[in-house]
Amino acid sequence: MRNKNIQFSFLVIMMLASLVACKKEEYTIPDAVSQLTNDCIKRTIGPSIVSLPLEFAYAMAIPKSSGKLVSAQVEASIAGASGTYLEHRSFFTNSSGVDVPVLVGSPSLTVDKTTKMTYSIDTNAATLRYYYVIPEEARGQSVSFTFSVTSSDGKTASYKMGPYTVSRMSIKKNLAVSNGVNAFISIEDMAVYNAAAAAAIPGKIDLVYLFRAVPTTFTHALVSPAADAAYLPGVTLPAGLNRSTKLRKVFNLQDRNLANLQFGIYVDDVDLKNVDMVDMPNYAIGLRAEAGVWVETADKKYRAYIFVNSITAAGTAVISMLRYTL
Amino acid sequence: MAKYFKITLSILMISAIIISCKKDSVVDEDGLLITFRQECFVSNFELLGADFVSVRSKTAVIDTVAQTIDVEVLFGTDLKNVYPQFTLATDCKLDPKVTGRTDLSNLASPKVYTVVSGNRKIRKDYKLNIKFQ
Repeated sequence: MRNKNIQFSFLVIMMLASLVACKKEEYTIPDAVSQLTNDCIKRTIGPSIVSLPLEFAYAMAIPKSSGKLVSAQVEASIAGASGTYLEHRSFFTNSSGVDVPVLVGSPSLTVDKTTKMTYSIDTNAATLRYYYVIPEEARGQSVSFTFSVTSSDGKTASYKMGPYTVSRMSIKKNLAVSNGVNAFISIEDMAVYNAAAAAAIPGKIDLVYLFRAVPTTFTHALVSPAADAAYLPGVTLPAGLNRSTKLRKVFNLQDRNLANLQFGIYVDDVDLKNVDMVDMPNYAIGLRAEAGVWVETADKKYRAYIFVNSITAAGTAVISMLRYTL
Repeated sequence: MAKYFKITLSILMISAIIISCKKDSVVDEDGLLITFRQECFVSNFELLGADFVSVRSKTAVIDTVAQTIDVEVLFGTDLKNVYPQFTLATDCKLDPKVTGRTDLSNLASPKVYTVVSGNRKIRKDYKLNIKFQ
């Protein structure tokens, strides 16, 4: 009898608990913005590389009854490089998905770490883009930003973004190489030279670009000067070129920055740091458009990722590279 | 007398239970199922370069009688860094296992891979002969 009572009480408690747990919270409409408000997102994804811009969208609004927007500014922890600016146009996205600009102020002015834009029209809401060109001083450092807005009622709102770690990589895009002419590549300089220029800096030349239609598997190649002669057919190297650079072919690694903003893949510091280059050959033949090679210089000072943007049957190619100092 | 008979019977019963409970092992040392299959051969072979693109210049020739795999690779293939891929008969396994990049550059001494049948009782050595285009 006693057991039966306990079981019944337990059942009642369980049912009550279920009822309480199922109680639904009513939705409440959020309060309307009653004061100067701001928000920010970072639009750039992928690694932060020196010389490339970081893009932000900074939104601000104030109730019409409280006044209008007067100015907006961004303060970076490290002064941006030339080309850093805060848009003086506010963008909205139309029904076709196109960003449409509306002029809201005068062009921004950057003084040291601060970029400021003053509104020239009577507006109480805007979204401004901020482009911060990463300077050389920020390499390997962290950079953060304070966005702020001032309204006509004297109020100020601010929004902090970051810190963001700046990559140690360097980038060089769209280097034209051609068989027998501009064929000598320096990873240290991130540049392409002809034979005469290469002869002046033999210790800096890591790779030779060449094209051979026969054998059909050879085609476009990057070969280090110290490679076996079989991989440098008919090539007379300028005096002093003798570096043995390790190469590792890779396919389907179309870095977005190197591929001129196509694809959605990024090569980052950690990839260049961790890529296994042990026992890799000193030549890479049969390269195709959108293929790539990991590179390690003979002195192990640099690692790089070279991406083949395009090739032609005439023996020319366009390459881009990311370089990491070990 | 009946007491001794009971004890003996009990011992026999316990022994029978212990013996009957001994389970036959159905998986091998790699945790793979041991089956009754006796087939033991390589049905297909692929060789990938460091960029995971095939380095074969033509289809590999597999001789299941002579137990050889002859493969011709493209000019310039770096055989120190390749990934061999074997397709085996059902339930077979390979020894040694291919666990990653493999060095097949010693052409004078072709590498030998052993195919082990599903019942793990038959082993066949396949010699991998590589030549350049």
